[in-house]
Amino acid sequence: MKIRLSTAILWCVLSMLFFGASAVQAEDKPFAEKRVVLQISDPNPFKQTLVLNVASNLVKHYGPDRVDVEIVAFGPGLRLLFADNDNKGRIQGLAASGVRFSACNNTMKNMTKQLGEAPKLNSNAKVVKAGVVQIVDLVGQGYILVKP
Amino acid sequence: MKKISRFALAAACAGSVLTFTVPMKDADAANWLMLQGTERSSAVGRAKVWGFVQGQMQYDFSDPHTNGKYIPPKLIGPNLTSQKQFNVNRARIGVRGTGFPLDSKVNYFLLAEFGNNGITAADGGAAKMTDASVTFNHIPFARVRAGLFKTPGAEEGLQAIHVFDYVNFTNVTNQMLLERFVVKDRFGAPLNPQNPDLTGIAPNGLERGVAAFRDVGVQVFDTISFGKLELTYAGMVGNGNGLNVGDYGDQKDVYGYLSAEQVFGGKGGRREGAKVFAWMQQGKRLVDMDAAEGAVRNEYVDRKRMGAGAKYLKKPFRVTAEYMAGEGMIFVGAHKQNFDMDGITNADGSGLDGKANGFYADFGFYIPGTKAEIDLRYDVYNRLVDDAKFEVKYTTTTIGAQYHLNKKSRVAANYEIRKIESVNDNAGLVANFEGVGPRASVQFTAIY
Repeated sequence: MKIRLSTAILWCVLSMLFFGASAVQAEDKPFAEKRVVLQISDPNPFKQTLVLNVASNLVKHYGPDRVDVEIVAFGPGLRLLFADNDNKGRIQGLAASGVRFSACNNTMKNMTKQLGEAPKLNSNAKVVKAGVVQIVDLVGQGYILVKP
Repeated sequence: MKKISRFALAAACAGSVLTFTVPMKDADAANWLMLQGTERSSAVGRAKVWGFVQGQMQYDFSDPHTNGKYIPPKLIGPNLTSQKQFNVNRARIGVRGTGFPLDSKVNYFLLAEFGNNGITAADGGAAKMTDASVTFNHIPFARVRAGLFKTPGAEEGLQAIHVFDYVNFTNVTNQMLLERFVVKDRFGAPLNPQNPDLTGIAPNGLERGVAAFRDVGVQVFDTISFGKLELTYAGMVGNGNGLNVGDYGDQKDVYGYLSAEQVFGGKGGRREGAKVFAWMQQGKRLVDMDAAEGAVRNEYVDRKRMGAGAKYLKKPFRVTAEYMAGEGMIFVGAHKQNFDMDGITNADGSGLDGKANGFYADFGFYIPGTKAEIDLRYDVYNRLVDDAKFEVKYTTTTIGAQYHLNKKSRVAANYEIRKIESVNDNAGLVANFEGVGPRASVQFTAIY
């Protein structure tokens, strides 16, 4: 019985790891020749499509292993990384290609006040302390900042 | 106990995985109910201004009645005052979105009509609100939409008019589904054939706008996806009073709709797929049954409509077919604004308890490598079926072409070959319908 219970737990953990693994894997891009950080902070929903298009085009052009792309969302742009966002299928696909998604914690706190509860984020999003700080740090590391 | 624990653990585990893997239904581009009633989750603004303008020229080639005058089918609507007419038939502006963008669970839809058509003409041409609704997306698989909006129903009526592939509706949709309302003085004399320039009497005797396939009420609906297969349902309760906000009686209309669609790809109003659907509408209308002028004896009259059909769209081909039937409150012409009761309930020719049915088949071909498409539609409408004297059969073949200037703008040209027959060879009807000829039209549409 204990073995069966352990097996169930193992399957559970493995399943969760499998579906949440892409973000972790994506952090490692040893062969990347280009490093790009994409900013989305605009309330215009068209910008959500645009930033995803840009990321997709970068991956297509250079190849998933040759380009390191991180999308940083803050301010109204954080809605891109909401769990129910209509673009979640595309986000999943890009994450599988190694694109990383960062969500601003300052914005999260602010939105939590407005909503009365913390917004649920896409499982591919990694919460960073501040979106703008994340961008500054990445630029300091040689990333090119693009704001579509 | 251990069994329960293991089951609970497995269920929790499966639940946690499902939470991450099973997508919620995307609200975008599912079908007309979803397109008009929902927004893209967390991907829509506070207020998107949108609308469209349609202008047209129609030319009716019909010859006049033997007395030199004209009946409504020989004149261009909605005014029925000419056989050659330029018209801005639709000019709509609206706004839709989520009032509080952080919460996608509530969205709204507002639209007003400024053009000259059946919605506005009867009310003196003033602008009229056609849609004003709020959708609540809180309950899984049971979205709730409330307010004024298009009711679940036939494809031709439910679809967005700015992507409609023809200039004019089929006869069955125009006459049987597009509801006109009884005037207050139901025994007003039917209007005889008119001079096209009129002599002070409008042949369109209706005093309220058409329902425009809309009603005020509450609808529960949603789409459930199984991969590329979508199942959609809707149930609604409404006033049964069209665009006329408020009701004239206590009886409410009920509406039902089911569809199954295999989605091929694309999005929006021209998404490709194969769909089958069925629908029903049922309600009552309050009608004055007292023949004496000034006296009132209101009674409820049943109004039932139902239909089923299929649509296939995969470029370069489009095929649509739909059958509809109706019972009660059968509109018998713009000149018979009282449904032709003639003072005697249930008399021959009365639309109050009349029956009707009809169908259409539509074929479209998008010419590969071009921005052009050609359209062909055949429609039949049997009005007052089984009536001893006044059964009429309308048959129209429409040849059309469209040129898409861009994704938002196009020009359409139609040529309608029309035939109207008195099934019972009623001498009066035969005389009226003699000379009904083809109708040609050109229409531009610009969506913004």
